[in-house]
Order: sequence, then C-alpha cells, then structure tokens
Amino acid sequence: MPLDYVNLSIGDVVSCREFVLDLDTVSEYVAAVGDRSNVFEPESVSPMVPPMAIGALSLRGVLDDLGIPSGTLHAGQEMEFLDSVLVGETLKCRATIAQNSVRRGVRLVGVKMDVVRGARTIVMSAKSMIMVPA
Amino acid sequence: MTEIGTELAPIIREITQIQIAAYACAAGDFNPIHLDEEFAKTTQFGGTIAHGMMIAGLVSELIATSHKRTWPESGKLKLRFKAPVRPGDIVTAHAKVKQIRGTELTYSVGVRNHKDEDVIIGDATVAVVVE
Repeated sequence: MPLDYVNLSIGDVVSCREFVLDLDTVSEYVAAVGDRSNVFEPESVSPMVPPMAIGALSLRGVLDDLGIPSGTLHAGQEMEFLDSVLVGETLKCRATIAQNSVRRGVRLVGVKMDVVRGARTIVMSAKSMIMVPA
Repeated sequence: MTEIGTELAPIIREITQIQIAAYACAAGDFNPIHLDEEFAKTTQFGGTIAHGMMIAGLVSELIATSHKRTWPESGKLKLRFKAPVRPGDIVTAHAKVKQIRGTELTYSVGVRNHKDEDVIIGDATVAVVVE
C-alpha cells in the first residue's frame, strides 16, 4: 500500500530490506547501462560490483516500499562509496526520510539510505531527492 | 601529474528506448514515465524519458575508468538532474578536475545532450593513490 507522503516526518524509516547482489542481477545491471569501466569482471574469482549498481539496486527496494505514484521524478542524488562490494554479498538497506516539503505544488521528498554489510559496516551512504506530484 | 583543469576522456552514448526498458527491468523501476509512451505524452515531457540513475551511471563509469578500485572504495558523488534525456538523445559524460586537496581530487562532472544542454551537473570526489 502506498505511503501517505503528507504525514511522513524526518527520521521516519520507510524501508529496511536485505538483498543479495548475485552474479545474474549485477550482470543484468551492467548490460543495461553498458558499463565498460571494467570494475565488474564477471570471469574473476571475486567480481566487484560497480558502485552505481549498489545504489540502483538498493533504491529498487526503497521504491517498492515508497509506492511512488506515476509521474514521480528524480531531482538529485548524492552517494558516498565507503567500501567495495563483491558479487554474492548480502547487504541491508535502511531508508529514512531526510526532507519532506511542498514547493509550488510539488512535494520534494529526500530519502537517506545507508547500505550496510553485516552488523554495522556501511558500504554506501546516499540521499535521493524525488519530486512527487502533490 | 594531475592538475586543475585536467579533463577525463568523455563517454559518448546514444540512449535508446530498448536500453531504458532494460534498465527498468534491471533496477526494478517501472515508473510509466520511462516506459509508457501514451502516459508520458500526457506529462510535461511529452514522451518517455530515461531514468536519472541510468544516465548518472555514465558519470560513475567515467570516474571508475580512470580511478579503478579507489572509486568504489572512496568515491563521493553529488548530482542534480537538470533536464530529461529522451530516447534518441546522444549524451556526453564529462569530468574536469576542479580541486586538489591533499590526496583527494574533486571533479566538476556532468552529462550534456546533443543540443549541448546540461542534463546532469555535479561534483565527484575520489582519493588518489600515491604510488
């Protein structure tokens, strides 16, 4: 069920999901974006996940939980990569509301995401700004 | 030797509706503004547009190509999505060193379309490995 954006407050947890970055998922992402940086080398023993794949695939669960309405736009993105991630790792993404305001008929929602490995090692921190039709 | 003003070799790509659909499946983002031409025609954009994160991926790819492992281990990216990218657009991701502080390099980064309009602007910071 979609969230009631009007009542979201700063600090509210909107998503908390565990996910696995398996070889098929990462390969599908790399093929879709056409990444040729060679960060991801599928033939290596422990292939590294391209950092934007961590961001995009973390956002996947958050988008599901936010139940964003059609026409929502992505206005800005901040990301900090803190450690490399290898294919096959299990990560957890916790998303909280960082901003929720209305300006000129458009609701601007900031969602902060911390992606962790294990109990507390943050591998990526990010903030997405989305514009939701008010 | 990296100096302020040094530019990375740009990445130039044509964006297609097929690629947008593939990204939607890979990222699980099925917002109809990216996929449904009839719906997208009713919006301010008049047609489908690419996912911002898909285009932002070009910036990350550009920095990763030059900085290899240090990018996923220490990179910071701050981007604003200024304008939509439509199927058929040819986009160029670019990066120019704007600040060197200790062992950190900050690039002014962005993506322009074939009309030379900024579609993404921002900064990328990465640690430099001293060998």
